Amino acid sequence: MLLELDHISKIYGSLHAVDDLSLTVPEGEWLAIVGSSGSGKTTLMNMIGCMDTPSKGSVSLEGRKLEDLNATQLADVRKNLIGLVFQKFYLVPHLTAVENVMVAQYYHSVVDEKQAMEALDKVGLADRAHHLPGQLSGGEQQRVCIARALINCPKLILADEPTGNLDEKNEKIVLDLFRDLHKQGTTIIVVTHDALVASCAEREIMLNHGVLVGEKWNDDAARAAYEAAGGKPASTGSKAEGAQSGDAPVGFADPTKAAKTGAEPLNK
Amino acid sequence: MAGKPMTSNTRMFFTMLWGAVFRRRSRAIMAVVASLVGAATLFCLTAICIAVPQQMNDEMRSYGANLIVTPIETDGHKTGIDSAMVDHTTEMVRAHGSARYATYRYENVRVNAAPYVMAGVDPTQVRDLNHHWSVDGSWPSSGAVLVGRDVADALGADIGSTITIGYRSSDNTASSSSSSSSSDGQSSSSASSSSASSGQSSGDATSQSGSSATNASGHVSSDIMDTKGTDFRVAGIVDTGGNEDSIIYATLNDMQKLTGTKRGADVIEYSSSATGDDLNKTVSSINDMTSMHVKAQQVTKITSSDTRIITMLQTLFWIVSLVVLVLTLVGVSTTISSIVSQRGYEIGLRKALGASSRSIGAEFYVESAFYGLIGGVIGTAAGYGLAHVLTTVVFGRTLSLNWPLAIGSVILSALIAVLASIPPVHRANRIDPAVVLREE
Repeated sequence: MLLELDHISKIYGSLHAVDDLSLTVPEGEWLAIVGSSGSGKTTLMNMIGCMDTPSKGSVSLEGRKLEDLNATQLADVRKNLIGLVFQKFYLVPHLTAVENVMVAQYYHSVVDEKQAMEALDKVGLADRAHHLPGQLSGGEQQRVCIARALINCPKLILADEPTGNLDEKNEKIVLDLFRDLHKQGTTIIVVTHDALVASCAEREIMLNHGVLVGEKWNDDAARAAYEAAGGKPASTGSKAEGAQSGDAPVGFADPTKAAKTGAEPLNK
Repeated sequence: MAGKPMTSNTRMFFTMLWGAVFRRRSRAIMAVVASLVGAATLFCLTAICIAVPQQMNDEMRSYGANLIVTPIETDGHKTGIDSAMVDHTTEMVRAHGSARYATYRYENVRVNAAPYVMAGVDPTQVRDLNHHWSVDGSWPSSGAVLVGRDVADALGADIGSTITIGYRSSDNTASSSSSSSSSDGQSSSSASSSSASSGQSSGDATSQSGSSATNASGHVSSDIMDTKGTDFRVAGIVDTGGNEDSIIYATLNDMQKLTGTKRGADVIEYSSSATGDDLNKTVSSINDMTSMHVKAQQVTKITSSDTRIITMLQTLFWIVSLVVLVLTLVGVSTTISSIVSQRGYEIGLRKALGASSRSIGAEFYVESAFYGLIGGVIGTAAGYGLAHVLTTVVFGRTLSLNWPLAIGSVILSALIAVLASIPPVHRANRIDPAVVLREE
């Protein structure tokens, strides 16, 4: 497994932002973490992305336990294994699009402008390469962010609400990019509260107030392959109300999708 | 090939620096202005603190001598201090600090039969030593004398008028002991005043002896009304309020022509930069050399008041400057620190992209140093301009550019900018990138 979460919790005082979650993600999987605002999705993503540490439990990436690593080693894991896509893009405002992509190369290994231009070309922004972020639209900035995440060929793309600030047209462009990446075998974990974005993933898990409340598969073939490889359903040891119990996945109907379609949100 | 990655990454480093400085102009300008203000204040105050008291010290020294040297003449024969001994004594004085000097040869002369003291001097030396002398007209030159205000009034002489000065060797025969003994009194007064009084008193003494002198035939010669002599033009009138007002100053050459004799100086006056113990050492070193047959004395009043005033001024300058400097530097640090703090998310982002704390530190510190450097250069130039105006307008002095201070000011500006950026960079570096990004 590329990623293993073993009973991880993130606790702030009496608040459990993530409560006793166990999850495994194989290489090449596209996973969506869904839930409403404040459900702990971003906290979970930060812990997976080595940007935050769990209060309890353990996170393993490629078999390496992150709690055993120091700051420098964590920085190495981030730059070698992970590509980050943020909802707010987080581009360096005084660097052009291509320079923003090259920043990731700079911290990873060697700056290569040609490669950076190719990455921008891949996201359809070759002609905007020398524009500053302030001169780009939200969709364009997000595509620069994706190009920056892709430039070092990471094994895992972590995207936090990647379409949260985009219109439908740009949302489609971004999702198409993710599809392409998935086809190329990149593991993608998308944090979203958008049902349509989540439905593009092979697998979805749902959090509510930091607690795992359900899991569902959108791709049966992927599920079969996962189970064949010894993958287990996500689980939680939390005793909070609504928490998924047992080892069997508990299905859910996405409330956002239900709101959009008018259907009743039912747990399967 | 091995050098290529390094070059690319180095170029990227400078691209990021360029972008941060030139594409974020408002913040960059703010940082530069903060450093500029600091450097300008630093340079201006320090330059004034160093230059003004130093110049005042120099100028105070120009208000006369702080050390006098007189000959010890044991055989009653007045030979003075010869030029070789003047050079030797000067060498000894200069061993303890820079010094200016002037030599004086005193003789008793008569103008309209009345006795006066005439000093043979090198006008340039005397002028350099006594900046406080108020001279109407010109300094002495060949055939022209500078007369004291009292002499001019007594003779009714004006600038351009002619006076006849007579010299009688008999007037000066008994003056050597008088001259040397009167020199002893000079330690508590200004050198030139006491020299003058010495000359005057000797003049009085000799004029009396002169009036009752006997000629070769044994008859008493009553030459009191003898007005013969050499004509000199009055080039100028000196007014010091001291004993100089009773003396006639001529060039040494004119003095030699008038007297028909060539001899050494009766007094050497020094204005030495040495003060306190150093000046004492100078005096001792000369007096210990008994073979030189000269005696050195300090003009204590001027030396001590000189030192006290300058020390007081210097202390005051430094206290005020330090307070202002500390306040300015706190302001600079706060501004730079706040500018870096505003970029906390950038630090978080870079960490999220895999940057090490060290590389982030290097980027931000170099950027801050750059702001400090630019601000330092402009600020130092502005500080020099300001200091120049202040010293000219307020203190009435000149100020030349102090290069070591200028370089120090620029380096200190860069250093302060870097130091000011350490806490915010360190703070943002310690926090998990997710937390920094969440706070944005």
